[in-house]
Amino acid sequence: MSFPTHQSSQSEPLSAASQFRHLMNTMPCVVLPGAYDCISALAIQQAGFPAAYMTGAGTAASLGYPDIGLVTMTEMVGNASRIANVLKIPLISDADTGYGNEVNVARTVMEFERAGVAGIHIEDQVFPKRCGHLDGKVTVSRDEFCAKIRAAVAARRHPDFLIIARTDSIATHNLEEAIIRSNLAIEAGADLIFIEAPPTLEAMRLIPKEVNGPTLLNQVSGGKTPQVTFDEAAALGFKVVLTPGVLLRNAMHLFDQVLEELKRDKILRNVTGADNVKRNFERFGLSEWLKFQDTQCTVRN
Amino acid sequence: MSPSEQFRALLNSGKMVVAPGAIDGITGRLIEQAGFSAAYMTGAGTSATLGYPDYGLLTMTEMVDNAARIVRATNIPLISDADTGYGNELNVYRCVQEFERVGVAAIHLEDQAFPKRCGHLDNKELIPLEDYIAKIRAACDARRSKSFSIIARTDARSVLGFDQAIERANAALANGADIAFVEAPQTLDELRAIPERVQGPCLLNIVRGGKTPAVTLQQAQAMGYALAILPGVLLTGIIAACDQLLAGIHLADGLPAPLAPSTPQKVFARFGAEQWDQRRVAYRDAPGESK
Repeated sequence: MSFPTHQSSQSEPLSAASQFRHLMNTMPCVVLPGAYDCISALAIQQAGFPAAYMTGAGTAASLGYPDIGLVTMTEMVGNASRIANVLKIPLISDADTGYGNEVNVARTVMEFERAGVAGIHIEDQVFPKRCGHLDGKVTVSRDEFCAKIRAAVAARRHPDFLIIARTDSIATHNLEEAIIRSNLAIEAGADLIFIEAPPTLEAMRLIPKEVNGPTLLNQVSGGKTPQVTFDEAAALGFKVVLTPGVLLRNAMHLFDQVLEELKRDKILRNVTGADNVKRNFERFGLSEWLKFQDTQCTVRN
Repeated sequence: MSPSEQFRALLNSGKMVVAPGAIDGITGRLIEQAGFSAAYMTGAGTSATLGYPDYGLLTMTEMVDNAARIVRATNIPLISDADTGYGNELNVYRCVQEFERVGVAAIHLEDQAFPKRCGHLDNKELIPLEDYIAKIRAACDARRSKSFSIIARTDARSVLGFDQAIERANAALANGADIAFVEAPQTLDELRAIPERVQGPCLLNIVRGGKTPAVTLQQAQAMGYALAILPGVLLTGIIAACDQLLAGIHLADGLPAPLAPSTPQKVFARFGAEQWDQRRVAYRDAPGESK
């Protein structure tokens, strides 16, 4: 399947969205590790991944909250904006349910696009959830979901900006419903389909076959979906694989370990592989900024 | 005294508090300089200052940031619109924390549904009473200072009738709300009945051309209202003044006649130039003084 890219002029740099479309057109499967801030995002870029993903759960955590719908659109866009600003690779972002009705969804798309993000996913869960039911999923009707997708597609300025439709309806209904909703979303203009939490390998085999458009696979360690290699995901027919929690979860584990050692040993031990302070700043573009200072700043004392 | 303590003192003074609507630092300061003891941050005005209509498009973060801006610019307590609290009672809990943290003195929370269903944006949709009470309880629990005021707004009048609106107001007060706000009473009799039947201090929303008959501030005070807000006066005035001046640029083919005489110094004086000028010299020794 080919994804049309629309470039306004050859001399302009490719937008993040156009970059991402190019990746989907040229790679069998695009892997998106999850970033929750600029540090984790730069690590993803420097490890050589061609694109990154901003995790909503990770964003909530970086603000000090659990992932229960407490973070606002402004905070999500703010985090995405900061990350997209420092990355050369394109960023795809979680956009929850779009933060309201289709009018809110339109605004959500505008804000994320303006922030330099390549695309967002919008899901068919109800917001806000009823307290006491935070563990259970509730989905909106098919019509409401499609209305949101249509609103999102209409709201984007650049046609390459990706609208990814996520459906949680395996949990509320079954796989058949999820496939129906996915195909309705494709008809409504969605560029990529994200069926959340397929519970079996068989379901994972069916999804890329039954959905009339490109599909995304979400891999969560210890989650409901069986783990596969990226090559296996590509062989199944998925165009994109997400690993949203890989960095944050491992980072928290490392933080706990290091802090435990610090408490126990009562002395600072060198972190394995850690370099001096200057080398660390290199990870954050120290050389480029110094070069800019040397070449562009002509005023000298 | 903290802003919320200041506001409580005003409420306890026996005189009705009058709070015109502010939309930014400019209007906040002008309200204070005009001698008003409190200001009100209007959600509609905040939407406008960000360039949007009042259609539930703004996020809690944007509302709180605007309130913070106004608080920073003024020395009078700010009462803020907090819409529906932006979700369920957990979101309400967070909402109260955020508004209190930036120095707002009081917020109002309403019993409308969010998000509204598109195609029904003109109609009011209410949440069940038990959901509303849960929000009020959560709000009261979330505040750090007991003087931070929770104002319970109910939009039930047009949907369920006047009696139901009074019932909801009283239920909210019984569950911890400090002030009741019955939105859009439709007759003078209803206006009078609110402070009589509601078992706590009442807020009156004064809007031109709305459903509620017009009354003077004196009449509102005599009826027993504790607080009156005038949300739209400055916003509508600003729009009218700007339209006039902009048309004036075309007409005059240059600077139009000003609405009032002004100089840059006079403008900056309204924004605390005097205090800042004092600070320019206050930390240095006078010339000739030994160190």
